[in-house]
Amino acid sequence: MGRISILPTSVVDQIAAGEIVERPASVVKELVENALDAGATALRVELEDGGRSLIRVSDDGIGMDRDDAVLSVDRHATSKIRIAPDLIGVATYGFRGEALASIASVSRFELETAPEGGDGLPAVGTRIVVRGGTLETVEEVARTHGTTVTVRKLFSNVPARRKFLRSARSETRAAVEALTVLALARLDVAFTLTSQNRTLVDVPRVSSAAERLAALFGRKAAEELVPVDHSSGYISVRGFVQRPADARVSGRKAYLFVNGRPFRNPFLIRAAEAGYRATIAPGLRPTILLAIGVPADRVDVNVHPAKLEVRFRDKMLVERAVEEAVRAGLRPLEAAAVVGGAVGWSGGHAVSYQSGPPDRLTGRPPADLALPDTLLDTASVAAQQHPAVGGELLQLFNTYIVFETPDGLALVDQHSAHERVLYERAMAQLRGEGSAAQRLLLPMTVDLGIEELEAVEEHGDLLAAIGFEIESFGGRSIVVHAVPNPHPRFDARHCLEEVVADVAGGRFGGLANRLERFAATYACRAAIKAGHVLEAVEMRDLLNRLFACELPPHDVHGRPTIVQLPKDELERRFGRS
Amino acid sequence: MKFTITRERLQEGLVAVAACVPTKTTLPVLSNILLEATAEGVRLSGTDLDIAVSTVVPAEVDSEGAVTVPAKKLVEIVRELPSAAIRVTSAGEQRVHLECGRSRFKLLGIPREEFPSFPPVSFADSWTLTSSDLQKLINHVSFAASTEESRPILNGVLWELREDRMRMVATNGHRLARMDVPVSGGDATADLIVPPKALDQVRRLFGPSDELEVAKSDNHLGFRTGSTLVFTRLIEGPYPNYDQVIPRDNDRACTVEKDAVAAALRRVGVVASDQTHRVRLEFSGGTLRLSVSTPDLGEAQDEVAVAYEGETLAIGFNANYLLEILKYMPTDEVRLTFKAPERAATVEPVGWDDPASYLCLVMPLRLVD
Repeated sequence: MGRISILPTSVVDQIAAGEIVERPASVVKELVENALDAGATALRVELEDGGRSLIRVSDDGIGMDRDDAVLSVDRHATSKIRIAPDLIGVATYGFRGEALASIASVSRFELETAPEGGDGLPAVGTRIVVRGGTLETVEEVARTHGTTVTVRKLFSNVPARRKFLRSARSETRAAVEALTVLALARLDVAFTLTSQNRTLVDVPRVSSAAERLAALFGRKAAEELVPVDHSSGYISVRGFVQRPADARVSGRKAYLFVNGRPFRNPFLIRAAEAGYRATIAPGLRPTILLAIGVPADRVDVNVHPAKLEVRFRDKMLVERAVEEAVRAGLRPLEAAAVVGGAVGWSGGHAVSYQSGPPDRLTGRPPADLALPDTLLDTASVAAQQHPAVGGELLQLFNTYIVFETPDGLALVDQHSAHERVLYERAMAQLRGEGSAAQRLLLPMTVDLGIEELEAVEEHGDLLAAIGFEIESFGGRSIVVHAVPNPHPRFDARHCLEEVVADVAGGRFGGLANRLERFAATYACRAAIKAGHVLEAVEMRDLLNRLFACELPPHDVHGRPTIVQLPKDELERRFGRS
Repeated sequence: MKFTITRERLQEGLVAVAACVPTKTTLPVLSNILLEATAEGVRLSGTDLDIAVSTVVPAEVDSEGAVTVPAKKLVEIVRELPSAAIRVTSAGEQRVHLECGRSRFKLLGIPREEFPSFPPVSFADSWTLTSSDLQKLINHVSFAASTEESRPILNGVLWELREDRMRMVATNGHRLARMDVPVSGGDATADLIVPPKALDQVRRLFGPSDELEVAKSDNHLGFRTGSTLVFTRLIEGPYPNYDQVIPRDNDRACTVEKDAVAAALRRVGVVASDQTHRVRLEFSGGTLRLSVSTPDLGEAQDEVAVAYEGETLAIGFNANYLLEILKYMPTDEVRLTFKAPERAATVEPVGWDDPASYLCLVMPLRLVD
């Protein structure tokens, strides 16, 4: 007896605070989410000393009256749900009713709020002060409608937690990041964040995600992104992904939203990266911003105290939809690399990808989330058809093919393009579609090194699947009886020698699986090279095949196959705009 | 240099020579035609260093001499001139004046010294043959040579001269054409590998009834009639042993109507893969069934009645190779022979009333599953 006792409320609050309030950034996140749930249209965040000494979040939302304000700092006090079934399909950011209580228990907490009075005049405001979890003051104040929460001396009563805080600079950075995520989710709200009187974030209300991206990350970073807009069954995926050619090893950003709520999910990020398959070199990490829309009852957001994780009812379907969406986004010509200035951002891609939480007051899911109309769906597929490669084709430096597109000029690297074409064919062949092997009248004998011989043995099945019929000739020689014949200029001997050398030398070693690696090697070696003079017919044929590919604008090494010179850019340079 | 020539004569000479003048060249003089006025007339010559063509046309020569003139411009001028006498005079080493009626031209040429000299082929040891025999060989064989650059030897046509026959063979490694023409008392024995481009010139420049003189130096070959000369570089190296790949034991034969099969091939070929042009042929009883199946595109089937007895045989081919061979077959009916789906098939004319013998061979296209 006496060894087990019920903890006092203040300790319970501190324990809960440990889950929700980990660092200043989590305070910012919780308070900003509250403000958004309160229907704010403009939000201000102030930090001092990385949030250690001060975090202040002010909004122009609906505010609270005195009784609500007092209740709001109690544990599990919320306006967002009432009964358990409300948890299903909850559409507000918060709903657990823990945040304010938790924050108040580990700081000097001050809340000023006023609801909107009649005739747009503010009603009487309320000021509450909580110190270390104990309500100290409740008084009337005069203020406009909305709420301002000031958190001082965070973790002053939790020395352990305080000790684990990082430098002011990295805490500030984390807070900016937390705000950025929400700013991406809510285009209809203006956000500012100041730290030590320096403005770090200042984004106005916008109507297109493109503008918000440019405001948050700078125009250049925004220009590297291509829009994604895809529906699959009841799942919609919209957003932006980075052009494969711009993907870098580090420094990428990955944001996921479901019904406007940010969340983390490494599997979906991986699915999005899978959408890039064979367009970027191994190890490159593209920036990904995707807003997933699903009916509210298909996702459970109540699985993590900080709501960082969500659970999808059909996880596999969502992953597949994300992969397809990225792939579809990379397909059109617009996804090709651009020379010079901005393409598309001027208007073409002013897609809002927002599928934010429904208005709390009306409680209806946003229109975005309505099940996609199947008819519409097919129409959008048709709209993705590549532009006809019309007009004259011109070969430059015996390497690039130039042609006119509806929006400008496109340059195609003939080797990269052919590589992409052959890669996709080779993949189909290796996956068992079967390929044609031209029997040789005069079998060719090829002498190889020992490593290469081993490579031929090891990958004999793949070489055969692609059309090389190889027999050992004793010693270091092999005899080739049949070869693939992918194009009239194909040089089977060179191709075989180079493929075998590459495979033996472990080139393309990073690509995920053996088939892709082999197909990439073969495609690279079998494709026409730079410097080959092409007839007009051959160029047209190549382009037609390129655009029939799954991912025309990107080659298998992460280089672009197509570079665009937008008409806007030309006009700008000639002073016509 | 000064001579007078009719427009028709000059044009005749230019047509013969201009075809071998390269359009793009790094050596400027190669885009010129050499004009030499001699006692016999005017000799026009052009070359791309691989092939040289030279022909003499009659003209009234007042004073001998030589100069080179831009081929393209000369051809264009002569084409536009009225049908009248053209007076050509050189002024110095480089300038050429042309006068025809009231038209006058001055062209800037290049001194003749810069024009490459012809290969030293001596016609003293030449042999003679009938142009029509040579043309027949070229017409039926030259198409099969390779255009791909990895094996230069296959870019040439093998020309075997024996006492009793001439033979030409060409292959790109996937298909082969061979023709023999009997000759009586052939006075040379040689194995020559000739670029098809040169054979084209030979076919174009010499009439069927011409008696041709042919002579060879170390690595050049010369053809000559009274007025016209063609020189070509020979391709060096041993030609692959084609004879051993020509099947002798094909035990399944089928006689087909050439046009019917070609038409069916073209029809189903529409759906064939752009890259391999693969068509599957199935011989069974009296029927040849052609079928094509291309992933992502579709399928096609067709049937042709043929004379075939034996076990059912299915074999795949590049439709283009078959069509090309059928095109050159001189008879309406052709005979196909096979051994097995992975072995060479042969195609021969049936009932050809010509002393020549003709055989084409095509390797199958196997489907790897």
